[in-house]
Amino acid sequence: MTDLPSDIGDFRQEVRSWLAEHLVGRFAALVGSGGPGREHEHVELRTAWERELGTGGWIGLGWPVAAGGRGATVEQQVVFHEEYARAGAPARIGHMGEQLAGPTIATFGTQEQKDRFLPGILAGTELWCQGYSEPGAGSDLAGVRTRAELREDGWHVDGQKVWTSLAHLADWCFVIARTDPGSSRHRGLSYLLVPMDQPGVEVRPIVQLTGTSEFNEVFFDDAVTAADNVVGEPGEGWRVAMGTLAFERGVSTLGQQVGFAHELEDVLRLAQQNGRVEDPLVADRLVDAWAGLQVLRHTALRTLDNDAASSTGVEASVSKLLWAPWHQRLGELAMAVQGPASTLVDGADLSPLQNLFLFTRSDTIYGGSNEVQRNIIAERRWGLPRDSWSRS
Amino acid sequence: MTSTPEELRELRSAVRGFLEQHAPARAQLTQDATTWKRLTEELGLTALPVAEGSGGAGATFVELAVVLEETGRSLLRAPYLSTVVAALVLQGADDLLPSLADGSAPAALALAGSVRSSAGRLTGTLEQVVDAAEAALLVVAADDGLHVVPRDGEGVTVTPLTPLDGTRPQARVQLASAPARVVGDAAAAPHARDLLHVALACESAGAAERCIELAVEHLKVREQFGRPLGSFQALRHRVADLTVLLEGARSTAWYAARAAAGLSEDLPVVAPLALATCAEAFRTIAGESIQLHGGIGFTWEHDAHLYFKRAWTTALLHGEPRTLRHLAATRAGVLTGGDLA
Repeated sequence: MTDLPSDIGDFRQEVRSWLAEHLVGRFAALVGSGGPGREHEHVELRTAWERELGTGGWIGLGWPVAAGGRGATVEQQVVFHEEYARAGAPARIGHMGEQLAGPTIATFGTQEQKDRFLPGILAGTELWCQGYSEPGAGSDLAGVRTRAELREDGWHVDGQKVWTSLAHLADWCFVIARTDPGSSRHRGLSYLLVPMDQPGVEVRPIVQLTGTSEFNEVFFDDAVTAADNVVGEPGEGWRVAMGTLAFERGVSTLGQQVGFAHELEDVLRLAQQNGRVEDPLVADRLVDAWAGLQVLRHTALRTLDNDAASSTGVEASVSKLLWAPWHQRLGELAMAVQGPASTLVDGADLSPLQNLFLFTRSDTIYGGSNEVQRNIIAERRWGLPRDSWSRS
Repeated sequence: MTSTPEELRELRSAVRGFLEQHAPARAQLTQDATTWKRLTEELGLTALPVAEGSGGAGATFVELAVVLEETGRSLLRAPYLSTVVAALVLQGADDLLPSLADGSAPAALALAGSVRSSAGRLTGTLEQVVDAAEAALLVVAADDGLHVVPRDGEGVTVTPLTPLDGTRPQARVQLASAPARVVGDAAAAPHARDLLHVALACESAGAAERCIELAVEHLKVREQFGRPLGSFQALRHRVADLTVLLEGARSTAWYAARAAAGLSEDLPVVAPLALATCAEAFRTIAGESIQLHGGIGFTWEHDAHLYFKRAWTTALLHGEPRTLRHLAATRAGVLTGGDLA
């Protein structure tokens, strides 16, 4: 990391030492576990690992000190993500709370909400999931139909959410629901905090094309939450939700790329071992994959280096359109390098490279599909007019 | 010298303002001595990479990268890129630097050819050298290292050629036992080539961005079927894809410029990588720009073809992107082992 300030070294050492001391014993089994397509692995142990991270003070690293975080710089957060990935520490299951619910409550919530919810997120003891997408509201989030009504005993929620990661483990869900019955589009929505452990909430796993499940359907059938569990004013949910999406970009990108580099290394090693690297057509694809990863890395470093005035405002969309297709191609290359054997399943589980191949099909769909990202770039960067049919 | 983001923005805006007014792309099919004079004397742009003690401004490749993006944007026809790269290559030759810094002795880079060196004299033919006819100095890569030869010197014949890209002159350089001065050993030539590649990467990124801007301007005003072309998703998405290509390429140029400025140690890897990425992106974007313009993009009077010809010329003269990517990967040891993370 030649482009980070040299005083970052002490911090890197601190992260590295802590991981070396704590990713041992029963947690040693977690090295390399979880992650896309493998969220089902070691769930209980990873839940305990969240609490271990919380005890170590590593959750909410970038949160302001006033919110209970460590107020770490962007560079420090990047270093944490890099070292975390480099150590092979397991995929997080608390990130929905740390990266989305927590910052949203810290920004838009009341003091009571902050006191109630932030400590559990920071300690890794309360897990969250995101109730945004619905069968009729995917790319078009403003099409939300889940309803909520305020009665004497609190909000009553009815509706269905879909593609809800980690819903089966979560204690709480932040839900976008329509609280003004006559409203349409982004008006009349509210941002509600709903406890998952109640009769009115049913979670059904979605079996993906990988054969595993990290996503769920969540059914709210007269689910209830307290009247004061609304973040922002009722009807202000769209503004709050958009604020949450803004937290989603950023510093984890370089850590993600360390993971990509490990995957590419696995593919390269295999190609060397089985001799396919000698095939010039395979070698050419391997070189392309490596070059593409450098482009991702240089782009992430440049984005971090940019000051606000240099921002084009579409960095997150550009980044997504760079890495998602790259990752898919890597999955295809992994299969080509394995050859015909890649079409056989050995045992109950897919191999990591088969999983990479299949799970990356979702990269260009989730988190704002590639088509949505392209529209964002066309409109925000270039000021091209909206499609005549699209509604705001 | 380390510039703040604010200073870099000011530099960019000053250079852009000057070039838009005095050297727009459409004027680059003819040579204009006044532009070069003002660029070097008034704006002092050739002085940027030269040390302050040698009459320069002591800037780094970080500042140079900003200027090169802008000269690329306007397809500047002047030996600017070759002169500033020469100034970096000739850092030890103190007596040559002042005339490079003030623009009185523009340079050309003759790094691709078979030239024999013997007893201080060079012999060989360099078939296509950019800016050779406009230069006073030729920086020549020979079999034993890097040399400087005066363009008007003994045994030097420079024959101007007619280039497809009319904004970038080329000439044949014949050396017949031409007296030369050694300025670097065998390792100096690849390093000079790396610096040239980074400079071309920056130039290509700047030019590519302009291509998208031109296309976007067209898509906003041109109406068909009763609405602006830019409202059709088929076209909006093509513009977005080009933007992603541009930003990725620009990032490699950005990183490589920092490596060339000594901020990281991987210049031999990232220089060919940056040119591969930027030249390829520029080539695609310039081609798409013609398509997005429709019929008007196919006309001589529109600038689109100037960018298209510059883009392809860059890749054809300095290395096919695929070849450069393999060079970068070989230097990084990608296929032979090692950790990447």
